Amino acid sequence: MHTWLVDICEQLQNLRLVVWLVTAQYAYPFIQWTHFTGLSLWLGTTLALDFRLLGAGKKFQTAAQLSDALFSWNWLGLGIAVLGGFTLFATAAVGYIDNPAFRLKLIVLLPLALAWHIFVQRKSRTWGRTRETPAVAKLASLMEIVLWVSVATAAVWIPNY
Amino acid sequence: MPRLCEWLEQIPWIVTITNSAILISLVWLVHYLGFFLLVGTTAIVDLRILGVAARNQKLAPLAGQLFPFAWTGLGLVIASGFIMFAGQATTFYPTAVFRIKMGMVLLAFVFGVIVQRKSLVWDDAASVPTAAKWLAFASLALWIGAILAGLEVPAFIPV
Repeated sequence: MHTWLVDICEQLQNLRLVVWLVTAQYAYPFIQWTHFTGLSLWLGTTLALDFRLLGAGKKFQTAAQLSDALFSWNWLGLGIAVLGGFTLFATAAVGYIDNPAFRLKLIVLLPLALAWHIFVQRKSRTWGRTRETPAVAKLASLMEIVLWVSVATAAVWIPNY
Repeated sequence: MPRLCEWLEQIPWIVTITNSAILISLVWLVHYLGFFLLVGTTAIVDLRILGVAARNQKLAPLAGQLFPFAWTGLGLVIASGFIMFAGQATTFYPTAVFRIKMGMVLLAFVFGVIVQRKSLVWDDAASVPTAAKWLAFASLALWIGAILAGLEVPAFIPV
């Protein structure tokens, strides 16, 4: 198949730093930790905005206010998650590119969920100006929750191949 | 306790879930999504108290908005975590890192409850009290530490 891709993956996997991360005792969980800490920040704040757009916690803030409070930490979370995720990938790159669950996650679900997130986040400023959010906001945020749950489902399934 | 752990491991529905790749993956999924929601939303409140997040907003409405989401996440974490623990109770129970993790979670939960109850009072003060900042810092460190401890559990299980 894509031999050049396999070549790149092999080189990545054989980098001295990556080899050290895999072989050093107790090191691997630290990479998972980076990924999961980033994801907590990213998905925690993403899902919180979705729930608010769905109508949860109306008496406290508008969705626009909440979105404003979360914005920079939301994207910082993604940055940390990607850093950890890329390192996790590097530790077993050749295996990952052949894994159907990983491919589905990275090539299909993740770009889709990410694009949808940007759309919902931008729109939340107008949808969230008042306490009550319009029906289209509820539908869009529900859709975003479904998308991220699918990304996570594909990720959890990766070790089963 | 060891006998309770043995009993937990043999509960029929626990055995069914633990031995099914699909069901146990589903439990893991709920655990992950639960702590993402719990830790992510709690972290924002803590960072607000520390003065680095949402500085242009009042603490009380932000905390009021986010804590119900955090506690929803905690509910998911406890329900799924119980199943994960029960399936391997005799292995997990004696593992030191696992006990450390549970201690951190318990303490972080207590700190969270204090922050939630005090947010209105702190909001009325001219500036957030120093004690509150220490509490927020400890809460943040404990949740992030609990994630690491949880991930290190498999590496420390005695053989």
